[in-house]
Amino acid sequence: MTDLTQTARRSEVQPPQGRLAGQTFARLLQGGLIIVILYFALYALYFYQQPRALSAGSIAALMNNTVPLALAAAGQTFVIISRGFDLSVAGVISVCNVVMAVYPLDGPGGAVMSILMCVAIGGSVGAVNGFLVAYLRLQSIAATLATMIICQGVALVILNAPGGRVADWLSYELTDRLFKTIPISGLFVLAVVLAWLYLRRTSFGISLYAIGADEHAASLSGINVRKVRFFTFVSAGVLYGLAGFMLSAQTATGNPTSGTPLLLLSFAAVALGGTSLSGGKGSLFASVMGAATLMLLQKVLFSSGVSSFYTGVFQGCVLIIAVVFSGLIEKLGERAAKL
Amino acid sequence: MSNETATLSQTGDTRKAARIKRETVSTVAIAIICVVLLYLSRFISPALGSWSQVETVLILGSFLVVVAFGQGLVILTGGLDLSIPALITLGGVLSTTAVGAGNPDAWFLLPAALLACGFVGFLSAVGVVWLRVPPFIMTMAMSIIVASAALGITKGTPRGYAPDAAVALMKSHILGLPSPIVFVIGFVFLGWLLQERSPLGRYLYAIGTNAEASRIAGVPVTAMQIFPYVISAMCAGFAGFMLVGYSSGATLRMGDDYLLPSIAAVVIGGSSILGGQGSFLGTVGGAFLLTILGTIISAIGLEFGLRTIIEGTIILIALLLLREELFNRIRSIRRKA
Repeated sequence: MTDLTQTARRSEVQPPQGRLAGQTFARLLQGGLIIVILYFALYALYFYQQPRALSAGSIAALMNNTVPLALAAAGQTFVIISRGFDLSVAGVISVCNVVMAVYPLDGPGGAVMSILMCVAIGGSVGAVNGFLVAYLRLQSIAATLATMIICQGVALVILNAPGGRVADWLSYELTDRLFKTIPISGLFVLAVVLAWLYLRRTSFGISLYAIGADEHAASLSGINVRKVRFFTFVSAGVLYGLAGFMLSAQTATGNPTSGTPLLLLSFAAVALGGTSLSGGKGSLFASVMGAATLMLLQKVLFSSGVSSFYTGVFQGCVLIIAVVFSGLIEKLGERAAKL
Repeated sequence: MSNETATLSQTGDTRKAARIKRETVSTVAIAIICVVLLYLSRFISPALGSWSQVETVLILGSFLVVVAFGQGLVILTGGLDLSIPALITLGGVLSTTAVGAGNPDAWFLLPAALLACGFVGFLSAVGVVWLRVPPFIMTMAMSIIVASAALGITKGTPRGYAPDAAVALMKSHILGLPSPIVFVIGFVFLGWLLQERSPLGRYLYAIGTNAEASRIAGVPVTAMQIFPYVISAMCAGFAGFMLVGYSSGATLRMGDDYLLPSIAAVVIGGSSILGGQGSFLGTVGGAFLLTILGTIISAIGLEFGLRTIIEGTIILIALLLLREELFNRIRSIRRKA
């Protein structure tokens, strides 16, 4: 009897070699291994078509294009892991964009003020969403639809037609390269990813996954579900604010509907990163890579000479294939982890 | 003695009674909000609140009712259909370019166009059911593909005119009523029969509540999961046909304004976005509520941005008024009484 428990205990402490490898494999998959491989494969194709693709300039240009979507997808990931949908992303980005175009603040000090403003806008919209969903128990998709419409109205009130000008300092410096190599916009995404890697180990991060997987069980195990859900929406809002900030730096002008195209794309990026839309699973880094892949795909299609009318056909097919493929691989990973 | 039987029958029926009550209450509540809004709109502009405004609302709302029916069926099984705008466009473009005005072959070309839309829905369903792609992503991808194909085939500008049948459907009168109103009444009745009173509808509710349990209970789950996507795609295509008849031409963006309202109508109508709960009459109420809001708000002489803010706020208020907890509270008060 004791022998048996001892063996059991030993096998718990030291899993067999194959199982350990399987688990590591599964963990890497959840961290977005597939999408990283897909991204580099696509980049290789891009490089094959356009040898200039590896120059610091074109990497920075691609990065600048990617960053707003990457940040929006990062925020969306928070909400999706907690088993929700957040449509307000489109509204928040539009509001931040028009605020920056109508009230430009120049210089480094102005940039800090602008970024604080965007974060405040995103955070407060997120707080409203969080209150509606966590405390008043509205369905997230419905509540954020309403806040999105209201935000779009606010954006139109501030600026009723495309125009305005974002502060020069911002639009030059934030799209530039540090030491002529590292794209500055990329540093923002890096900071967000690092913050996420820290956050997911904190009790907030663990609770986030727990309420997404099973809200009832999470609340029984002592997690304050309402509070976690509330701060999930606030964090997401803050990231949308950052996305609006970076979008403004990149386009250098204001447009009251600038956030709308990012709405569905942010979901596509999350799904491409392998995060299940039913909650409890996923990784912010994978969503960022998903966003990067979507933007790179556009470049590759363009440089392969596909008529711009038909790019959507390819994008849609790639999206479906990637999601099916990552589902298959994940299943293989789970099987490997069980062996 | 009589008291005892009363309590007995009450306890026996509470679950059934509670379920019926919840959906009926929410439908009635929406209907009341609609009527109150229509009445109050008199104070905003003398042109509002009249019978002619009611007619306008019914005609403008008919498109949304048709697409929201399909969306509602998909949501009922726990899915979501984001391909509605692209399919409205496809329906519209096929009606004008492939059929067109004065075409004697319209009697078989129009059903063929609808079937083509249904086939797109079938492809979405294949992705969802067999390839296990999340409905959100699958229908979004199909939407991108169809929209891009429509763009490529028409080279950016759809040509042609509305088929005669579409114009007849939208612009004539039957028994003194505008024909789209007669159509929408018939559509709502048939939709209600299908969703609430047919075995098919019961299957959809069952799948939305628990697909695995329904499979064990003998529900043809796979077929019933495919069905709503096909119907939703055909409804969207038909809405495109109606829109073409109403505005006598197709554009590539004609469906864009219907995606979020189709979801909003279903959710405001009391359905759960997770499936298994809701009623078609509630959805119809939600669709007309949104349309009434639209007509009232566009009659106010405010700038577009402020009108949008008001619209969002009213949707929010409607959602808060129609909250589940509120029904539970009302129910518990009645039970105590």
